[in-house]
Amino acid sequence: MGGFRKNELAEKRGYTYRLTRRQFLVASSAAALAACGPAAVTPGASPSASPGKELKLGQLLPFTGVYAELGNSMRRATELYLNQNDRKIANRPVTLVYGDDANVTATGVQVTQKFIDQDQVDVMMGVVPTPLAYGIRNAVHAAKLIFIDTNAGGNALTRDTTNCTPSCKSPYIFRASFSSYQISYPIGDYLSAKGTKDWFLAYANYGFGTESAADFTTGITKNGGTVTGKVAPPLSNPDFAPFVTQIKNQPTKQVYSFFSGADAIGFIKSWNSLGLPAAGYKMYGAGFLTEQDVLKEVKDLANGAITSLFWAVELDNAENKKFVADFQKAYPLLPDVFAVQQYDGMHALDEALRKLGGDSSDKDKLVKALEDVNFKSPRGDFTFDKSTHNPIQDIYIREVKTQNGQTVNTISDKIAKVTDPGK
Amino acid sequence: MTAELVFQQALNGLSFGALLFILASGLSLVFGMMDVVNLAHGAFYMLGAYVALSVVQLTGSFWLAMLAAPFALGLLGFALEPLLLRRLRGRHLDQVLLTIGVSLVIVDVIGQVWGREVRSLSAPAGLDGSVALIGGVYPVYRLFVMAFGVALAVAMALVYRRTKIGMLIRAGVEDAEMLGALGVNTNRLFASTFATGAALAGLAGVIAAPVFGVQPGMDTDPGLLYSLVVVVVGGLGTLSGAVAGSVLVGPADTFGKVLFQDVALAVIFAIVALVLLLKPTGLLGRIRIAR
Amino acid sequence: MRPFLRWALVAAAAAALVTFPYWSAPWASRFATTVVRDALILAIFALSLDLLVGRAGMPSLGHAAFFGAGAYAAGIASQRLATDQLPVTLGAAALVAALLALLIGVLVVRSEGIFFLMLTLALAQIVFAIAFQWTAVTGGSNGLAGVGRPMLASLDFSAPDLMYVLVAVTFVLVALAVWGLARSTYGRALIGVRENERRMRALGYDTARLRLSAFVLAGTIAGIAGALSAYSTRFVSAQDAGLGNSVRAFVTVLVGGAGTLGGPILGSALVSLIERVVPSLLPTDLRISDAILGIIFIAFVLFARQGMVGLGRFALLRVSRR
Repeated sequence: MGGFRKNELAEKRGYTYRLTRRQFLVASSAAALAACGPAAVTPGASPSASPGKELKLGQLLPFTGVYAELGNSMRRATELYLNQNDRKIANRPVTLVYGDDANVTATGVQVTQKFIDQDQVDVMMGVVPTPLAYGIRNAVHAAKLIFIDTNAGGNALTRDTTNCTPSCKSPYIFRASFSSYQISYPIGDYLSAKGTKDWFLAYANYGFGTESAADFTTGITKNGGTVTGKVAPPLSNPDFAPFVTQIKNQPTKQVYSFFSGADAIGFIKSWNSLGLPAAGYKMYGAGFLTEQDVLKEVKDLANGAITSLFWAVELDNAENKKFVADFQKAYPLLPDVFAVQQYDGMHALDEALRKLGGDSSDKDKLVKALEDVNFKSPRGDFTFDKSTHNPIQDIYIREVKTQNGQTVNTISDKIAKVTDPGK
Repeated sequence: MTAELVFQQALNGLSFGALLFILASGLSLVFGMMDVVNLAHGAFYMLGAYVALSVVQLTGSFWLAMLAAPFALGLLGFALEPLLLRRLRGRHLDQVLLTIGVSLVIVDVIGQVWGREVRSLSAPAGLDGSVALIGGVYPVYRLFVMAFGVALAVAMALVYRRTKIGMLIRAGVEDAEMLGALGVNTNRLFASTFATGAALAGLAGVIAAPVFGVQPGMDTDPGLLYSLVVVVVGGLGTLSGAVAGSVLVGPADTFGKVLFQDVALAVIFAIVALVLLLKPTGLLGRIRIAR
Repeated sequence: MRPFLRWALVAAAAAALVTFPYWSAPWASRFATTVVRDALILAIFALSLDLLVGRAGMPSLGHAAFFGAGAYAAGIASQRLATDQLPVTLGAAALVAALLALLIGVLVVRSEGIFFLMLTLALAQIVFAIAFQWTAVTGGSNGLAGVGRPMLASLDFSAPDLMYVLVAVTFVLVALAVWGLARSTYGRALIGVRENERRMRALGYDTARLRLSAFVLAGTIAGIAGALSAYSTRFVSAQDAGLGNSVRAFVTVLVGGAGTLGGPILGSALVSLIERVVPSLLPTDLRISDAILGIIFIAFVLFARQGMVGLGRFALLRVSRR
């Protein structure tokens, strides 16, 4: 029996001096076997494009990791939309294929590849983190897979850029959420036009935070405003006291902040416990600073914060009232902006496909149909900008107030029909 | 930076350091006693915070949570040690893999049972205000945390040096085999030590929650990462090491993040690298003969 | 079994592995090719880490720094040097990874055990922080997009099947190199350093230099794995250099069986299988694939101490006894 030497000392210590070819063979065939796993479990389905046949939607969402709450919210919105429409889109029964990116870009890229090669989905939706959206842009574009981004807001995804760096738009990519510009520049313009010229910036030191701070700065410099200083804590920062202490020890009282999720909660709690409101400091920010996931934890600590977003749970239009009511009936929760983004994405796809009689086989026709959608969404009128595929939407200036025992964003003003510049 | 600002940041740094000490004390104890780097320490910390969430939700009492969480984690630790760790005495790489496995299981169970939303815990009534201090107001809770950290360190030192169990632990650190030969039930001693380490992690989960929050990912950041940093920088396995580590890392991290904002992510690791390169066994570490 | 027959079998297996996309086309989707490709890249990465963890007794939790460095180097080289030629970009990746490994190696080589672990972790996290923040060079937290196609003269390796062949060939070469290393004097010297460093020094070996050379060699191979990853996805994420990636490789080595050739390879197959297959088998509400992985780790450590290789050996022993 060649090559298989029993070495007692080696075995006791857990290694061998010699290797067997047998192990090599076993090893490499095991690697090949690993490939059989997914192939055997779900053999590639034949694409069904004709009306009446199932429509396969790939949903790439985070169900584990720091963004799991968003992924779950977006899944609820998906299920709500389908349940309201008899589990059909454009009269075709929908099969959902969920994939978890766990906030790891490499995993999300692999899931996208699976959507394209194995599941052969008709349309792909989802994607929370911008790096992931950038990471899959080329694969989606090359495969001519229509991808409706329902969160990732990196500006470049719907713009012309040099050398497609960090990313660039694609005819097959649509965005049903927002561009970071849309929630940062208009409020900068608006607030500085009202007379406040000096601003201090506080933002999470990563792509989204930096981009938002930069767009806000462009907005205020347009009206002669200046940035007097900044603090930029790292992402997922445990202790915000040092940074808020820095803010408190400088004279500029207007602070534009970009934080979301756990960072926003930590920042707002520190802001209060270190006495900034009493000392006259005012908190402004992009909408995610005071979204539902944050407000449910900090509650009235956030009162008075002014943020900009294309939606608020209090938005007073018929669609939103119905959406909020339906969402609460289906789940004992208030919807958040992530649910709205996903819901609108489903709606946009539904409307576009209906115009084509349910036929999803011609990608270019579907692109044109999506470009032409126009419907009433919880955020107001929803259309895509034909040249960028980013939504054209109203941006609301919101203020956090506690009313009827709940802390919510109330609408104080509106900037109508904001488009992304596209370059 | 004005003197006022420096003072405020020093307070921030020391209160942060106190939290780090409470967090790292359990890891240090378990390593010092059992030579086990418990990589599930962060998961224990996370579980303590979530247990506290439930207790506060049910009873409204933060103080009850401060008792319940360590108790629950202590029970878990007492069950896990004989079940899993006992078979791996001396097999360090295996212990690493085992504790990683335990950590993965605990974190997923937390996600399934409590959900994966970002949560938070408020400071208990009475400690949730702010007091006037030089340069403005300062949160009472952070002062409480500093006091608690000192009290914990003193209590641990007293137990360590003045009680029988402390003497047994010190003996066990030196030579566990000899201790067993002398008739001490080392199995029970080790199980109790591991349970205490877990309980301390659970306690940290409760106390740190009003500052660090309660969310997915907290087992690694800040949980395990900061515990490991403190313990290794301070000197593995000793109480004074854990104290030294927290007193250094707390303020250094605070000032570093504020002064070097562009590299804030790297500050804490630069501290570790610097200390280990200058003093390879940590600030107060002693070179131990490998078992 | 006669040596010639053994070598023939190995050659046949290697050939089968390299040509996998072609003979599996009738029954496996193209996705299967990408799964095996990614598993092979992990295997190369794990083999390089095993040189440290398994053979030289240096438990590094910062190995992804070199993987990431190689990935970024390959991507940046193709953009800055305006060339997509494989020898240039792959060479750049290997060189940058080697230099980084030399720089870090010099700092860590005199540490041991838990201190070595923490030091490698800390230094790798510094590398990650640089990758995450240095937007001008690495793309920052948004990653490096538009990694060029790997070309050899006019042969474009970015086609999925050719990309696979490139990865598979590299894997075979690395596996052969590691196998040869294990049997060489150098390999045995490494094991000697792991087992009893004092005795090795007494015997006249420069143990620090041995460890450093192992560290640099391991880092270089990891950099090559990183470059292959960059070519496959045409994208480099800061997480490629992150702690998660280091831990992933570490557990792959441990689960497979440290210190063997088959260990990291089998470990990669298992980890890839679990990561891909398990989530799709579970209902969406039940996100416990990490817990399943954890239970597998615990089971391995308690009952199959030598990892999958140990299990395999045990099984073969049983079979051959019959």
